[in-house]
Amino acid sequence: MGLPIKPARLGGLDFNPAPSTVMHIDLNSCFATIEQQANPLLRGKPIAVAAYDSPNGCILAPSVQAKKLGIKVGMHVKDGRLLCPDLIVLPSDPDKYRSVHLGLKKVLSVYTPDIVPKSIDEFVLNFAGTPALRRGLFFIGQEIKDRIRNEVGDYLTVSIGLGPNRFLAKTASNLHKPDGLDEIDKNNFLKIYDSLTLTDLTGIARQNAIRLNSAGIYTVLDFFHADLRTLRAAFRSISDYYWFVRLRGWEIDDVDWGVKSFGHSYALPKFLTKPEELAPILTKLVEKLGFRMRREGYQARGVHLAVLFRDHEFWHQGLKLDQPLFLSQDIYRVAYRLLSHSPYHLPVRNLAVSCFGLSERDSLQLGLFEDKIKKESLVSAIDDINDRWGNFVITPALMANMGDVIKDRISFGK
Amino acid sequence: MIQKISAPVSVETVYDHRKRTIAPRRIFWDGQIFRIAQVGLHHTFREGRTLFHIFSVTAQNLSFRLRLDTDSLFWTLEEISDGLTN
Repeated sequence: MGLPIKPARLGGLDFNPAPSTVMHIDLNSCFATIEQQANPLLRGKPIAVAAYDSPNGCILAPSVQAKKLGIKVGMHVKDGRLLCPDLIVLPSDPDKYRSVHLGLKKVLSVYTPDIVPKSIDEFVLNFAGTPALRRGLFFIGQEIKDRIRNEVGDYLTVSIGLGPNRFLAKTASNLHKPDGLDEIDKNNFLKIYDSLTLTDLTGIARQNAIRLNSAGIYTVLDFFHADLRTLRAAFRSISDYYWFVRLRGWEIDDVDWGVKSFGHSYALPKFLTKPEELAPILTKLVEKLGFRMRREGYQARGVHLAVLFRDHEFWHQGLKLDQPLFLSQDIYRVAYRLLSHSPYHLPVRNLAVSCFGLSERDSLQLGLFEDKIKKESLVSAIDDINDRWGNFVITPALMANMGDVIKDRISFGK
Repeated sequence: MIQKISAPVSVETVYDHRKRTIAPRRIFWDGQIFRIAQVGLHHTFREGRTLFHIFSVTAQNLSFRLRLDTDSLFWTLEEISDGLTN
């Protein structure tokens, strides 16, 4: 990593003196702003994009105007309407958001080849070693804002943060929302740290703040000045070192974790209790994840099921397998077995299934008792048909009459 | 308020070969002509291999969501909204 390790162990690592090379770009109030872009009659109004527009639906994205009225992500629609009776609630439109994501990526790709989408509304650009750096990142940041307005949507604003590492660039992007352009570097980091609270830092939520408090750290400046031993007492994990490095502007977050699992979850609009009632939903979740997993060329050696019940009780269990699975039917069989073993028989609020232990499906381990090649040919033919005509043209009988029960959710392609 | 329609609609479009842009100009629907004032957003998606174009446009204080099926080249009016609470 090229870090001065010895001084770090002594607790004396200096702040990174290098100029900012990382730019973090965040589309403000993403889904709501895109809806306001699409429908100019909604601009300047409090709107919210929700998973469902029913009273118990969860608000995914309030507009800038709705945020000013106290409406927050995660609130129920009914609570949002209590705060603002005129709140306009819209269902999510993932295709629209993905399209804007691709539009943003197209604009940003001109500036550096090292561009990482962190989510559907966040990008990290690394300018190290690029000619663009000579023009100055503030100038480029302003140009990017103008180009997004002209080429993607005139109502879209982004907050841009600059820093010597990803963490500081992200922190800088949060300083002035919406439409900010800020930098945190060796010249101003102490002043900015002084103006922030611990929970303003990405990665420090309530629980981590309590941990830090227990080690005598109450402010971001305390956090920055704390030595490794103090941080170890707070975190009791490798996180202490990560934070020590991160807060000093050195890069520790430039890690590609790779694909570790494929999963799908579904919040049930109507609570169901029995496994056989949940079976069609489980089938569809498994079909979706199986299709995605096969399309990416993976097979899995484990299946995990997580169930959230109406009374907020949570149960989950995973199962490791001897043979890798790639057929949706086989994954379903394991997932249903897990579901049947749930010790709770309560109304289910949320059902999630995932596959882990991934390996590339380049060679097939042949079995003695089943014709795997035949199975593979069949599933490949079904996937091709579903790909050509849209998902779920051919479905298991269990999924009959389900219609569009499990809607498309907001994912993005990296 | 948003009203789901999902009905065939007649749409007049303009293609500008210099700017390489195409945009709907007028909608003929329900016995009325709506002259489009603004295209808020144009996006695409696929259902299977069929590509659909969605134009979100405004005309006469109403917002229209228009869908073009690139297989059939038929237009569908998907929804109308007046921008007020539902």
